Amino acid sequence: MSAITADKKPKTNLNQRRQNRYGYAFIAPWLIGLFLFTLIPMLFSLFLSFCKWDIVTGLSSIQWIGTQNFTKIFNDGKFYKALEVTFKYCLISIPAYQIISLIVAMLLNMRIKFMHGIRLIFFLPSIIPTIASSMIWMQMLGKEGILNQGLALLGISGPSWLKTPQTALYGLIIMGVWGIGNTIIIYLSGLQGVGEELYEASAIDGANSFQRFFKITIPMISPTIFFNVVMAVIGSFQYFTQAFVMTEGGPLNSTLFYNLYLYTKAYKDLQMGYASALAWIMFVIILFFTLLVIRSSSFWVYYQNDDKI
Amino acid sequence: MSVVTGAKNKISVKIGRGAAMAILIFLSVLVLIPLVWTICMSLKPDGEIYNGRFFPTALQFDNYIRSVTKIDFFLYLANTLKIVIPSVIGMVFSCALVAYGFSRFDFKGKRAWFLILLATMMIPGQVTMIPQFLLYRMIGWVNTYLPLTVPAFFATSGYNVFLMRSFMSGIPKDFDEAATIDGAGPLRSFIRIMLPMCQPVLMAVTVFTFMGTWNDFNGPLIYLYDAKKYTLSLGLSFFKGLYTSQWNLLMAATVLVMLPILILFFLAQDYIINGISISSGTKG
Repeated sequence: MSAITADKKPKTNLNQRRQNRYGYAFIAPWLIGLFLFTLIPMLFSLFLSFCKWDIVTGLSSIQWIGTQNFTKIFNDGKFYKALEVTFKYCLISIPAYQIISLIVAMLLNMRIKFMHGIRLIFFLPSIIPTIASSMIWMQMLGKEGILNQGLALLGISGPSWLKTPQTALYGLIIMGVWGIGNTIIIYLSGLQGVGEELYEASAIDGANSFQRFFKITIPMISPTIFFNVVMAVIGSFQYFTQAFVMTEGGPLNSTLFYNLYLYTKAYKDLQMGYASALAWIMFVIILFFTLLVIRSSSFWVYYQNDDKI
Repeated sequence: MSVVTGAKNKISVKIGRGAAMAILIFLSVLVLIPLVWTICMSLKPDGEIYNGRFFPTALQFDNYIRSVTKIDFFLYLANTLKIVIPSVIGMVFSCALVAYGFSRFDFKGKRAWFLILLATMMIPGQVTMIPQFLLYRMIGWVNTYLPLTVPAFFATSGYNVFLMRSFMSGIPKDFDEAATIDGAGPLRSFIRIMLPMCQPVLMAVTVFTFMGTWNDFNGPLIYLYDAKKYTLSLGLSFFKGLYTSQWNLLMAATVLVMLPILILFFLAQDYIINGISISSGTKG
């Protein structure tokens, strides 16, 4: 008996050693990448945010200036403008896109002929290169563009959306609705996971469609809503390409998104320290809102099987 | 009584379906308008660009040839492929390796590392963007394709690793254990047994990486200065600055840039949609 246990113990140790060795060997590419492309750059960027550095002159001219970048940022009018634009965009687009996506997904979840083809149509715009959709929408949103031609049918005379400070941001938000196919697909697959029997049971209990929506659909797909909202928060704060291509932040800074300002500071003005500080401020903001959503999830996200990850 | 309510229900269901169908068709048309309009614009004769009509009176296919020569399309296409092909190969292979490690071995600290992997998906790009740029600048990689391809070999997409791990965890361990008993090492059973069984998810990651790299604008914008090295996305935006008034040519170029992605999408739609569903945790 003791011989058996004695025999077994080194074997499991050996096995564990092999598990460790092979496990780490397989994940090695990612581990190396994690340090090389994420952790070390993050530390370096944190360090840089307390420095002044004009990169043209090389490494030796890095100069520690303490919190000066941050004090300068907090007195920078453009910083507040960029924050305002970005927050406004997030505040409108995140809820609006989620609600629209969910409604469309519910329509797409019905059993109707040709549904496969219709689903593809809704998904299509989200795979188009951002540069291509930006080009298309620059025309769509023009004074004589398709959007205004459509509005004219309703008797509304639309502005030149991207050239008017009051409407430029809303033009970009309208354009964004076109590209929410990804979110729709995720909602759709969430809806498809809701068991038919729940609806049947509620129908027997005499629930109307509003009750069914709020008492069954919403709780059952709450993990999907959660996933989409987290992704939307992370993505929306980083809005960049469309504004860079279509409006360049204008007119009158009305579409000066945070990342656009950061890009200008880093690669146009070459103020790497200042830009790093800006990046870290955005990181903290995104982290705050992501954690807020994650923390709040215990109140509204319902997990059927209790298995979180 | 129950028959009557049954009939009533059927009618209301039918009306509901009809209404939903009508709304969906209306919305699909709205979604398609920008694309149809783009194609129409790309075929318009020069004189009709600003006439405010939706359809061209004559189809000028010549626009495509003119835009291809003006924008240096084939050079940009070759450049784009120089980034896309290595990125796809590197990403698929490295992510599969890492996912296999996470799904098959019980090494120490596995849970913690996996949580870190998920957390890295939440780090906004701009925090690492500047130091990465500086690093590449120091080693002389700026204005080459290396910063846009080499990282792909290090499984830099947590999303793809997560996707593949979910898929591999669904494959019974018996398969690779059988191979191990036959004397195959872990690397061999990974290549011989696991990879062939993972074809659907490998396809999904291939397609995602292809689309992501093809569509990437920010990476080339930061790293490529020389117009001769531009990718299609960058070339198109450059073209926009030069020929703002020639919208027909610009739209022809736009159609050409999105065409490969559209074709790929129609060929691989099931992989794409399943991949997205798995990643959101609603499937698989």
